[in-house]
Amino acid sequence: MESLRFTGSGSEYFKIWIVNVLLTIITLGLYYPWAKVRNRRYFYANSTLADRSFEYHATGKQLFIGFLIAMVFFIIYNLVVQVSPQGSVIVLLVLFIAIPWLIWRSLMFNMRVSSFSNVYFSFTGKLGQAYLNYFVYPLFLIIAFYGAPVAMAVVAPSLMNRGESSSLMGILSIVMFLSWIFAFYLFAVIKKRNTEYVINGSRYGQGVFEAKVEAKKFLMINLKTMGLGVIVMLIIGVIAGVLGGMDNIMILSNPEAMKTRQMPEGFALTIGIAYFVMIFALMLIMSYAITRQRSYIYENTLLDNTIAFESTLKARSFAWVMLSNILLILFTLGLAFPWAKVRMARLMLENTLVNTEQGFDTYISAQQEEQSSLGEQIGDAFDVDVGVAF
Amino acid sequence: MIHGHWHEKGSASRIDALLSINDLGRYALELEDGTVYYGEFAHLNVSERLGNVARKITFENGSVFITLDNDAIDSIFKSKQKINGFIHYLETHLSSIAMALVITLFSAFSFFKWGVPWTSQKIAHALPYKTNKLIASGTMDFLDTYMFDESNLSKERQTEITQHFKEKVAPLSREDDTKIEYTLHFRSWTMGDQAIPNALALPSGDIIVTDKFVELSSNQDEIDSVLLHEMGHVVYRHGLEMLIEGTFITVAVMMISGDGSGLGDMGIGLGSALVGSSYSRGHESQADLYAFKKMLLAHIDPVSFSNIMNRMTKYMSESDSNRSTEINGAKKSNEKVLDYFASHPSTKERVELANRYSECFQQGLTVCK
Repeated sequence: MESLRFTGSGSEYFKIWIVNVLLTIITLGLYYPWAKVRNRRYFYANSTLADRSFEYHATGKQLFIGFLIAMVFFIIYNLVVQVSPQGSVIVLLVLFIAIPWLIWRSLMFNMRVSSFSNVYFSFTGKLGQAYLNYFVYPLFLIIAFYGAPVAMAVVAPSLMNRGESSSLMGILSIVMFLSWIFAFYLFAVIKKRNTEYVINGSRYGQGVFEAKVEAKKFLMINLKTMGLGVIVMLIIGVIAGVLGGMDNIMILSNPEAMKTRQMPEGFALTIGIAYFVMIFALMLIMSYAITRQRSYIYENTLLDNTIAFESTLKARSFAWVMLSNILLILFTLGLAFPWAKVRMARLMLENTLVNTEQGFDTYISAQQEEQSSLGEQIGDAFDVDVGVAF
Repeated sequence: MIHGHWHEKGSASRIDALLSINDLGRYALELEDGTVYYGEFAHLNVSERLGNVARKITFENGSVFITLDNDAIDSIFKSKQKINGFIHYLETHLSSIAMALVITLFSAFSFFKWGVPWTSQKIAHALPYKTNKLIASGTMDFLDTYMFDESNLSKERQTEITQHFKEKVAPLSREDDTKIEYTLHFRSWTMGDQAIPNALALPSGDIIVTDKFVELSSNQDEIDSVLLHEMGHVVYRHGLEMLIEGTFITVAVMMISGDGSGLGDMGIGLGSALVGSSYSRGHESQADLYAFKKMLLAHIDPVSFSNIMNRMTKYMSESDSNRSTEINGAKKSNEKVLDYFASHPSTKERVELANRYSECFQQGLTVCK
């Protein structure tokens, strides 16, 4: 097993980034697709495994049309949201229906323009499967989660009038409870299906990736995450209670403050810290789920039944890098963004292990159509993230 | 002599290789196994330089030579890459980096400070009045369905206020914009069991006053002062402006963060919220100022405005302190800490300004410096 490496540096990326920003400003945004290509190229080319690097092949010109369409759509969406609530529901519905297609296109495009050691990736997943995984199952999830409560809200008033509320409401409560358990299970099933869709559809040259994952494992991870969440929230609740008490004391001891509705000096700070702790806790919980899932997925993925993967990413280090990155960006008004991005890339890559004993010499780029259709680039422009990539 | 690796077309397997160029414009590629390829230097295709990442030279037959020796490649291919050479030049020279940094910081600052409000304002005013109507259409129905109930004020009281508004207050804005038609609506607004005192203006010129607000006001002047403030929002087209500003900021932030992939999202979101709230603060002050100026012309003491504001604030803080309320369309939370985030200028500032105008009023002035 050998880990991937990141050979770039924050200071080097800063220069590329700041020039990107400058040119984007000067061209009033039109340079953006070219900037994106430079960013991606930098991160791909600096990711190496066994001394060989990845490469990103898309050109700014390829991304430009997709970018324009996405921009127009985005502006329309923003306007519609403000103009009419009904309109925004329609737009969101359209987006919801389009998402599987966008994901599918985006996967095809991004794989097609990526290579490792001179061999291209490709994606062979089917559109129908994408609709099943990113539309039908999520739809069931929504129904399972909201169905019973909505039914309850609809039925309840009429039952109240007839005075037979108690027994039927009881049954409905049980139904709701059961459907939520089902929703929780369905959530894990969706994770499994999405993972398999993306990984099993991916090709490296003639090589086939295969992931064999079980919904049960994802269910366990989710349960543990929830347990962790409850514990952390309880702790925060206690702390908040103590702080809340302090709030009253401070105001009582300073009646003047109450009159003018002004805050005692240190108080904003306490709230700030509480907010910070809250974010940190949420990140820790999130990191737990992400890193556990990552490890599980990588362990059970193989390339051509021989090349194995492993993730050694730990929740604590992931949460720490994420949080310190946010602080870094906040306190430097965004200027530390390149360093933050490099730190994250390094962490992710160095915690990705690949079995390189067999080597990659037998891999050959599969024949691909050179011409990529417009649709693929549009998918990429919307930046749909399926969250299973490296 | 440049050292690197050579791949056959589309193959992952590689072999050590040396690339050299002679004076006659021909290259020689010498593989480790002894094979040597020759060809025209002009037929080689070299990838653009980017930092110090590996460079790729593609041969006529599709095979590639990959090397980390960027400087050697650059000296050989000097003439071949002008545009990219320029970008790489920018990326590697301290002076251009410093310049980019300064320009970026300056543009970002001026963009948010002046560019966004100015452009939004220009666009908002350039768009026909109909746009305002369009934005507001549906909003009234939405509010009626989800927030408001019918007013419990007596028909006489409603007619009385409307009459006064139509005759005395609405005409005051005629010199600013003749197209706006103001319509007054009375509604009752409760959250939980608490009645909310408030007045809201829709961009179309529909002004909604809540029962509690009318109840809390002690005289006609106070009602007029708040109505004038709302008219200010309509005249300056703040609704439309906010909408355009929001779009601007989101697009700009998205671009600068590149494909941020959620990394700095939280920080960026917070920043956008702060910037956005500073704009709407500006709007409130502008609407206040508008109201005060009109009040001087209409011989109403601006102190009425601070009186009613104080009374509303007091009412809200005395009742259930956990509830947040909206005053003129912005969240005014009772948690004072969040005052910085609240879109309204602090009540203190507003009252001070009202008092200053009140002094002018006492002196019988119609314009206040």
